[in-house]
Amino acid sequence: MLTLTVNGQQKQVDVENDTPLLWVIREHLQMTGTKFGCGAGLCGACTVHLDGTAVRSCQTAARDAVGKKITTIEGLTVGGKPHPLQDAWIAEQVAQCGYCQSGQIMQAASLLATNRDPTKAEIVAHMDGNLCRCMTYGRIQKAIIRAAADIRAKSGA
Amino acid sequence: MTHIERNSLRRRSFIVGASATGLAFGYVAANGIKDALAAQSFGPTAWYSIGPDGIVTVMVGKAEMGQHVSSTMCQIVAEELEADWSKVRIALPNNDPKYNDPMLGALITGGSWSTRMNFETMSRAGAAGRITLIEAGAGLLGVPVGECRASNGQVIHSKTGKKVSYAKIVADGKASKTWTPDELKAIKLKTPDQYKLVGVAVPQLDIPSKTNGTAKFGIDTMVPGMLYGRPVMPPVRYGATVKAVDETEARKVKGYVKAVTLDDKTGTTSGWIVAVATTYEGAKKAADALIVTYDKGPNANVSDQTIIDEAKKLQASDAAGQLFVSQGDPAAAIAGAAKTVEAEYLTSINIHAPLEPMNATAYEQGGVWHVHTGNQFASRTGGIAAAALGVDPKNLVLHQYFMGGGFGRRLDADMVIPAVLASKAVGKPVKLIYAREDDMAMDFTRPLTYQKVKAGVDADGKLVGLQHDVVCAWPTARWGIPEFLTPAVDKKGPLDGFTVNGADFWYTVPNHKVRAILNELAQRATPSGQLRSVAPGWTFWAVESLIDELAHAAGKDPVDYRLAMLDGAGNNAGGAKKLANALRTAAGRAGWGSVTLPKNTGMGIACVSSQERATATWTACAATVEVNPTSGAFEVKKLNVAMDLGTVINPDGVKAQIEGSTLWGMSLALFEQATLKNGALQATNFGDYTPMRMSEMPELDISIIANNDPPSGCGEPAVTVVAPAIANAIFNAVGVRVRSLPITQAAVRTALQAKKT
Ligand code: FES
Ligand code: FES
Repeated sequence: MLTLTVNGQQKQVDVENDTPLLWVIREHLQMTGTKFGCGAGLCGACTVHLDGTAVRSCQTAARDAVGKKITTIEGLTVGGKPHPLQDAWIAEQVAQCGYCQSGQIMQAASLLATNRDPTKAEIVAHMDGNLCRCMTYGRIQKAIIRAAADIRAKSGA
Repeated sequence: MTHIERNSLRRRSFIVGASATGLAFGYVAANGIKDALAAQSFGPTAWYSIGPDGIVTVMVGKAEMGQHVSSTMCQIVAEELEADWSKVRIALPNNDPKYNDPMLGALITGGSWSTRMNFETMSRAGAAGRITLIEAGAGLLGVPVGECRASNGQVIHSKTGKKVSYAKIVADGKASKTWTPDELKAIKLKTPDQYKLVGVAVPQLDIPSKTNGTAKFGIDTMVPGMLYGRPVMPPVRYGATVKAVDETEARKVKGYVKAVTLDDKTGTTSGWIVAVATTYEGAKKAADALIVTYDKGPNANVSDQTIIDEAKKLQASDAAGQLFVSQGDPAAAIAGAAKTVEAEYLTSINIHAPLEPMNATAYEQGGVWHVHTGNQFASRTGGIAAAALGVDPKNLVLHQYFMGGGFGRRLDADMVIPAVLASKAVGKPVKLIYAREDDMAMDFTRPLTYQKVKAGVDADGKLVGLQHDVVCAWPTARWGIPEFLTPAVDKKGPLDGFTVNGADFWYTVPNHKVRAILNELAQRATPSGQLRSVAPGWTFWAVESLIDELAHAAGKDPVDYRLAMLDGAGNNAGGAKKLANALRTAAGRAGWGSVTLPKNTGMGIACVSSQERATATWTACAATVEVNPTSGAFEVKKLNVAMDLGTVINPDGVKAQIEGSTLWGMSLALFEQATLKNGALQATNFGDYTPMRMSEMPELDISIIANNDPPSGCGEPAVTVVAPAIANAIFNAVGVRVRSLPITQAAVRTALQAKKT
């Protein structure tokens, strides 16, 4: 038994220590917003936050997430209020098949948490590990820029 | 295996009547009306329904894989229905034939056909619903029907402004009507100037759920008590058999249940095993721990080179293949030509790799099998699952989901076989998920293609004769559905038109032959599939490269040279001029001939009539590419794409599709290559099969040309136009020609070195 903190809630899971966090979240806890794309750290579909930092849950052993705050796409909406990135994703009509987008949004959220005015080059550098097979890259960039502006405007910066 | 009944809708009536969930609207076979009415309801929902809350739910029989076709279909219905867009929802049907595509007679999504084929049917369904609601609404308002109209989910009495909502009319429960086929046909549909939703960039209905994790894909299926399976794939793509399985190590894995060796009666798979465990991580560990002895079968020595050698041998034989195009006498024209040009064009094996790996969840309940998976060809896939189980297809329900990418991969049915056979073997529900490595190794690939062209030009450089041979595996022939094959013009039996489409271009060439040749060796070793854009992805690679070569040889401008051949003569009337217009647009937007490019930078042009001649979308691309003349390294700076696709239902959706497919075209042209070695596909994961990343994206400029022609597909054509535009740009930059896809730095360097010596 491991105790994990997912989106602010304590969860007991009966898994082996080395089970990838991805399968714990998706299958054991049945929170399916986090996606499996490659299982090898190559696509970013499984991206979640550990204490606010974006990590590949397929490359994170469940044991290593114990005692840390795990945030998934389901936890990005706080109190029914979508994250500015989620609004921007709709405004820019980013998603095609949508399968990569949970991971894209989680990856982008970790960028905006520390950089509220990223340049295009910074966005590309931060996002390049997240594959989108539908190639929605242009809209992802626009949505991140829009969300950043939105966050700055709201905080009066 | 699957019988495709075309055009079955022509004999159908349309009925509106009460159902369990409100008011249902749907087509029924003429003889089915009585039954449907007698049953008081014909739900759950055929085509669409309106609930007492006014929510309009449209059953979309089209696979939603990111092209937003579900939303587009809703837009078409909602336009004529006068529905309130904020109240429209998508529902995905199972494989019941009542949801079949009215034109194709099956549940299938591909070929960019959806919008074109369904536009009128969906429009009439919406209009019949609107008229029925107006009649019922007028009754409720106590006013004459003729004085009422519908707008935004309400019936309005024009004189007094009195209104009643669709929700109220449905709640009242009295609306009901049967439309005969003739009455349906007599409905006057809106003209484009009356459109409120068609042509408007309304927000796509499927997008919000894809930003918060709630969109459900096949892989998200959860069934109580289910076990997990991971396939163990054989060391060759096809033809292996399992000799022995040693489970000693696997048994040590926590939760291990069993290894199921598949006895696949459909022949879709060969030599597959499923490791079943109580968890997926357990199934994965067990799969790795199984020690399997195989007989690798007859294809273990087949590699890329073997396939190419065989293709060349076939092409050299006059007896091989069948004719797809035969016009005039190219042999004589070429023999009498002032100059002849011969060239070979190749494209590599490519794999789909949608981001959601293949998966399916299967179980039996009360004598009925249930399979949950996102699939583009539910009719056939359900049939194959039933055949693998040996049950009547009537007793198998395929449940549809959003697809985490399709691109043609989910037209195939392989993923349901390990799921149903494993579930049958363990007597419990099984959720089967391919690891990425399994998904890549067993892809139904875009086949390796070899094309040989022989062209004759007159003293002016004009193309007077062309012989074009296309040799590859035949993806569609593998399906065994005769209706999907094309009769050969030389009467030598059916050919796979999905290997030569596009070669029947709109240029006027007086003497022209196109021969389709099946490479059986490749067909056996690498069962091929439909990969986004299919044949035009390779035929235009050859045609548009060749035309460029001929233009340069004649000392003519490649745009002018093409325009001269797009004269619209004879049966090229109409289309050729639209293509010429798209060509001018892309060239103009790029500044063709007017901008001064830096040294070693070139602009290349290409234009295509993908997908099929009968359903062409008119697309052109200008590519700007900078090449390092020493190393051969190159960078695509910009792609200008222009597309004429008739009626545009959702301009932003169209733009999104063009963006994605343009980048797909570039990804295939430069970054994606799988090879076959000793019968096995050499691609394991996104480390060695490498679709384009964000950092590799060029600048894009997209022009949409909309006229009021019937809508044509926009998700595939751009895939086909980019590769030749890039190759032509490289030629213009540094004077070397690459004739093999993908275009690599090494290939450019080799060509540069050959030019120097
Ligand atoms: S699934 Fe984790 S990076 Fe691809
Ligand atoms: S939207 Fe399909 S993979 Fe990104």
